[in-house]
Amino acid sequence: MADRRRVNGPGSSTLPPVYDDGELNAASRRQRAPDAIRPLCETKPIPTICSYMSYHENLETKTLRLDLKTGVTPSASGSAYLEIEPREGEHGSGMKLTCTVHGPRSLPRSAPFSPYMVLSTHVKFAPFATKQRRGYLRDSSEKDLSTHLETALRGALIADRWPKSGVDIVVTIIEGESTRQDAVERRVEEWDVMNVLGGCITVASAAIADAGIDCVDTVSGGVAALVASKDGNDASIVLDPVALEHESVMAACCVAYLPNRDEVTNLWFKGQLPLSASYNHQSLVSRAVQASRGTHGLISASLSEAIGSTQN
Amino acid sequence: MAPEVGLSRSTFAKLSPHPYLLANLEPSDDSTPPARSNGRAPFEVRKPTVNLSSLSHAHGSALVRTGDTTVICGIRAETILTENIPNYRASNTETELSDYDLLVPNIELATGSAPQFLPGGPPTTLAQTLSTKIYSLLHSSKLLRAEDLRIWHSRPAETSFADEEEGAEESEPKEGEKYVVAYWVLYIDLFFISFDGNPFDAAWAATVAALRDTKLPQARYDPDREMILCSRKDPKPLTVESMPISCTAVIFTGKETKDQPADGKFWLLADPDTLEESLCDETVTIVIDCTGGSRRILSISKHGGTVMTAKLLTSKEFLDWASTRWEDFASAITGSH
Repeated sequence: MADRRRVNGPGSSTLPPVYDDGELNAASRRQRAPDAIRPLCETKPIPTICSYMSYHENLETKTLRLDLKTGVTPSASGSAYLEIEPREGEHGSGMKLTCTVHGPRSLPRSAPFSPYMVLSTHVKFAPFATKQRRGYLRDSSEKDLSTHLETALRGALIADRWPKSGVDIVVTIIEGESTRQDAVERRVEEWDVMNVLGGCITVASAAIADAGIDCVDTVSGGVAALVASKDGNDASIVLDPVALEHESVMAACCVAYLPNRDEVTNLWFKGQLPLSASYNHQSLVSRAVQASRGTHGLISASLSEAIGSTQN
Repeated sequence: MAPEVGLSRSTFAKLSPHPYLLANLEPSDDSTPPARSNGRAPFEVRKPTVNLSSLSHAHGSALVRTGDTTVICGIRAETILTENIPNYRASNTETELSDYDLLVPNIELATGSAPQFLPGGPPTTLAQTLSTKIYSLLHSSKLLRAEDLRIWHSRPAETSFADEEEGAEESEPKEGEKYVVAYWVLYIDLFFISFDGNPFDAAWAATVAALRDTKLPQARYDPDREMILCSRKDPKPLTVESMPISCTAVIFTGKETKDQPADGKFWLLADPDTLEESLCDETVTIVIDCTGGSRRILSISKHGGTVMTAKLLTSKEFLDWASTRWEDFASAITGSH
């Protein structure tokens, strides 16, 4: 039975376009050192999404490219927009996320008593966010991301300051990564989920700061991956990995990290480490922590800039 | 300046929005011009800004922002073989778009765009209404041409497949040789990022802008694999010649309940925000197209209340206002390339 509350389109299924000519340029990790991360944050008090391009002018000396703005949705208590620019020489494979925070507000009468703030997170891909069109109902990967995000944020919020109240955090992924057809063919989307989670944590953290909800620290997401080189027997760890830039990804790790307390609130490790290699789990986690330190510096810089510009 | 007594302006506005809006529209002294709670003059609209092609996965996209209402529209094209369409008739060349449901608009408000729209539940009544309105306006306005969505194939001759030239171009119909093998289906997804009143105007403008931005890949049918293959080279834009624009206004009567006699005094508030929408019962939406200098009205819908008379709807001021609004949107859409 089709969902009658939406416009469903033709009765039988439709197929996304299949291309028979290859993509024009091959992906490579050029112009980026193994431990360089892409992000660079920028915050404006009441910014327009339309004008994000202009912020990049003064940032060209850095290798990191990321855009972060708060206050996109004025009716919400807090909101943020995060954009990670596509890589050099490629068009359109960046990541765009928005996050809105509603609350803290009183729980409905029917809800049981809670001495802490009740946090609910919701991550949703827009139908046009990925290569394959997504439906409006949440699938399991989106629910998985929501759960990870909730754990990551729960450790940072001071929940007992708001008894009997609830906060809703909604992250919408307007554009995910991996535009390219070979991303589907090479089955690397599973690694992109890590990057998406890292982005979700970062954008939610900025939105919480915008909403003025007390936290022990600004949590930030970071991703590191163990990748194999072309010949297949030499492995190395890279920060902020893009699966398409490498021959193969062996393992990846995403952490949510509180730099001032040196605590990890959420850790997600995926993949298998080679037995003979000189890398262990700790080294991968510590590199992911290093990536989130980088992101954190950029968030706090842009948040303090936002505060500065509202006071002027 | 009278000394401030009791409540501050913003507190009063929150506690008692209706008298506050009325007091602003009817200032006690002549020195202050009548204004709305948001500082706009009654007929003043929020200037739209449009950003095209911001999404890379979609075939066409647009971001439209009017004040605090922000909507993003992404259009994805998918193919459907005619043999899979139930009740397909090759002779039908007039009503393909609606008969085969080739346009699929959907609106999502539950992105936390406003505190009342939180995800988790089914689409709200407002979201369903808006989707249906966009759907019916897409069909009734005849914005798109069915021939842009057709994918042609020529039945190969016995010996060789001589002519590989396909696509939705001008066809020279040789009897029984060239036929429509598939259609493009356009999925039009509208996501509200921020919601502050007047959703339909913004959503419709985003739809029109995204359709004008949409480029479909060159497609041909592969009979061996029985599927449509596309080429990345020179995608073909859709033919969208007209530019219908929707203009909405609400009518504020100065009476909080309908039981009170309205003494004939009312204000027409153009491009309402959330607060004004909640205070007014009567809404009028006019869809107008001024392309090429002539003014064409595609639809007028008016709901609730009896204040807005036919005379007023056809008055010069009202239509002039709609034309100005059309120019605002049209220049924002065409100027953002």
